[in-house]
Amino acid sequence: MDLKFSEEDQAFRIRARDWLADNVPKAHRPLHGEAQGQFDRDWQRKLYEHGWAGINWPKEYGGLGLSEIQQVIWYEECARAEAPNYINATYIGLMHAGPTIIACGTPEQKAQHLQNILSGESLWCQGFSEPNAGSDLASLKTFGAIEGDHLVVNGAKTWTTDGQHADFQELLIRTTPGSERHKGLTWVICDMRAPGVSIQPIRTMMGDEHVNTTFYDDVRIPLNQVVGEVGGGWTTAMSTLAFERGTGFIGDQLLLLRRVNEAIAIANRVRLDDGTLAIEHQDIAGRLALIKAETLAIQAMTWTQISEIQQSGGNPGPKGSIMKLMVTNTSKTLSQLVADMIGWDLMEYDDDRNAHPMTYEYLWGWVYTIAGGTSEIQREIIADHLLGLPRAR
Amino acid sequence: MFLALNSDEREIASVAETFLQQEFPLERLHREALDPPCLQPFSELGWIGLTAAEDVGGSSLSAVEQVLFLLELGRVAGPVQVLTQMLAVSIAAQDSLLCAQFLTAREEVALVVENSVDRSQRFIGHDTARYAIEVTPKDATVFALKGSALERVPCLDRSVAMWRAEAALDEALLTIQGPRVWQEAQLGVSALMIGLADAATHMIVEYAKVRETFGRKIGAYQAVRHPCADMAVRVEVARSQLYYAATVVKEGREDADLHIDATKLLAERAVKMNTDANIQLHGGIGVTDEYDAHLLLKRANLLCRLFGTGKQNMKRLLMVDDEQSAEQGGVHGP
Repeated sequence: MDLKFSEEDQAFRIRARDWLADNVPKAHRPLHGEAQGQFDRDWQRKLYEHGWAGINWPKEYGGLGLSEIQQVIWYEECARAEAPNYINATYIGLMHAGPTIIACGTPEQKAQHLQNILSGESLWCQGFSEPNAGSDLASLKTFGAIEGDHLVVNGAKTWTTDGQHADFQELLIRTTPGSERHKGLTWVICDMRAPGVSIQPIRTMMGDEHVNTTFYDDVRIPLNQVVGEVGGGWTTAMSTLAFERGTGFIGDQLLLLRRVNEAIAIANRVRLDDGTLAIEHQDIAGRLALIKAETLAIQAMTWTQISEIQQSGGNPGPKGSIMKLMVTNTSKTLSQLVADMIGWDLMEYDDDRNAHPMTYEYLWGWVYTIAGGTSEIQREIIADHLLGLPRAR
Repeated sequence: MFLALNSDEREIASVAETFLQQEFPLERLHREALDPPCLQPFSELGWIGLTAAEDVGGSSLSAVEQVLFLLELGRVAGPVQVLTQMLAVSIAAQDSLLCAQFLTAREEVALVVENSVDRSQRFIGHDTARYAIEVTPKDATVFALKGSALERVPCLDRSVAMWRAEAALDEALLTIQGPRVWQEAQLGVSALMIGLADAATHMIVEYAKVRETFGRKIGAYQAVRHPCADMAVRVEVARSQLYYAATVVKEGREDADLHIDATKLLAERAVKMNTDANIQLHGGIGVTDEYDAHLLLKRANLLCRLFGTGKQNMKRLLMVDDEQSAEQGGVHGP
C-alpha cells in the first residue's frame, strides 16, 4: 500500500487546480426552469472545449483516456474549487448512458451520441423505475411492442431526474409479452421529443421539481436505437448500475468533508438554549467526531475500491453497495446533527436551497438514502453477494 | 497511490492467518480459559520483531505489515501479550540487550492498563513477567516489576491474567519521549478490534446459513440479513481507514494522529456493535458458555479499555483545519 501520487498524477492535479481557479463560474446554479439545464450545458461545454470532459473515458470515444486515480483527483480539485456539482443534468449521460453505449452500443449509436454527451450538446435522463417498480426494478411493466422495424412503447416511468432538461432517455422496457422479472427486457434510447412522450413534474418535500413522471403513449422508437440485444436489457442495464453505487459517488464523498468541517465550525459558533456552545456538549461532540471519522474512512474506502478495481478489473460489485450505504447514511446523520444544532434557523425555509442550504440538505437526506437503490436494497445486495446469506426472494 | 493489499502484503496476511487459525483457534479457550505463556512461536516466526530493526534481529517491516498481522490475531481473539511484547520491543529499540530479550521472548512483559493516582495499578500479563511497560500519549516506559507486590484478580476476559498492585512498578529502566509508541499501540489495538469485529460477522453469518426457524434459514429473514450487512459495513469502513492510517504512519506523514484517531473510533464502534449483534442474532445459544459468542464480547470489552477510551480520540477530529480538508488526498510528500 502507498499513498504517494505519481509525478504524472501530481502534474495533472496542479494543471486541474490552476484551470479551475480561473474558470469556475461565480454564479449559483439557477433553481428552476430552462436556465438550470442551460447552466449545466454551459459548464459541460466549457469543460469539453478546454479538454476536461470524459477524463476516464477511452480516447477513441473522445475522452481523455486517463486513469481512475486522475478521475478522482479531478473530483477532489472540483470540490476544492467549489466547481458546479457534477451530479446535475449531465450526470446520466456521462456516468450511465455514455458508459453503457461504450460497453454495449453499435458504431452508429456511438457516433451519434458519445461526442454530444461529452460536449453537453445532449442531456440524458433515466427511465428505469416505474410507479410500481422502484426498488423491485425487475417488476417493471412499460411495454414496447415490436412492429416492423420499430418498438411502440406504452406505459409510465417515474423518478425521472432532470427529465425536463433531457434530450434523450435510457429507457428500460419489457419487450417480450408475458415475460417475467429480468427476462424479456430491452434497453433502448428514447428521444424525449418524440411524439407521445410527455412528462409531469413531481414536486418533492424540499419544494423543488427535479424529478418527473414520464408517460409513453404509442411512442415509436426505431429498433436501431436498442442498445445491446432485444430481450437482453437487464444485462445492458447492470453494466452501469454497480458503477453508480461505487465510484460514481466520489464527488459527493469529497464534498462531505467540506460539510463536516462546516458543521464543526457551526458547533463552535452556535449556543444551545442552555447558553453553552454546541461543541461543549458531549453528545454533540461525540456525534460530530464519529461523523468526521466516517468521512475520512469513506475517502480511504474510495481509494481502496479504486485500487481493488485496478487489481481485478471490472466494477466494485457489492462493495459499491457498502459505499452507497455509508455515504448516504453519514450525509443524512450529518444533516440531522446540524438541524439539531441550529434550532429555529432550520424552520426558516421557502424552497430556496441556495438561501437555506441546511434545511434543504436536511430534507435531501431522505432522498439520498432512497434514490438509486434504497439503503434496505443495498443491505440485501450485501447480504446476497458479499455474505452469501440464503435468499428469501 | 494504491490502497489495497499488494502481493507481498497478501502473502503476509495469509501466512499469519494460517498460523493463527491453526495454533490459536477460538476453541482453545474452551479447553483452557487462560492463554498460557506462548510467545515463543510468535518470536521464532518473526511476528514480534516485525517492525524492529534488522540489527536487533527484527524484520524492519512497516506499520502496514504489523496491522495486517494484528487483524488476523484479532480474528482469533489471540493472546494480547503479543501486542504488549511488540510494543516493548519498540520502546527498547535503542537498548539492544533489553530489546533482544523482548524480541526473543526470553523476557515476557506485562502491560500497565491502569495507573491512576487515586486508584491502584492494574496489569495484564503473566506472573512470570519481570518487566512491565506503560504507554501514554506523551511517553513510553519499561519498568522493572516487583512480582511480589502483585495480586491476581479475576478478569471478565478469562483468557487474560489480570493483576492489581499498590506499588509494583520498580525503577523506570527506559523511557522514550513522544507519541510514537502510543501511535503504534492505538493502531495495533484498532487492528485487533477490527479483526474481532470481523470474526463476529463471520460467526453469525455462518450460523444464519444453517440455523432454521419457522421452516427457513434465519439468514433469509431481513431482520437477520440487514443487521449482518451492517456488521460487514462497519468492518469494511474501519478496515479501509486502518489501511489508510497505517500507510500514513509508514510514509511518515504529519497527519498520522488524525487518521489514527479516526481509525480507533471506528474500530471501537465496530467491535462493540458487532460483538453485541452477534450474540443477539444467535438467540439463546449466543448467551451460553459453551458457544464462542461471549468470548468475543468479553475480548471486545478488554480491547476497548486499552490505551485510552475513544473520548481521547475525539479532540483532533473536531479541529477544523482548512488545509486538512483541502489537502486530504492531495499533494503530499516529495
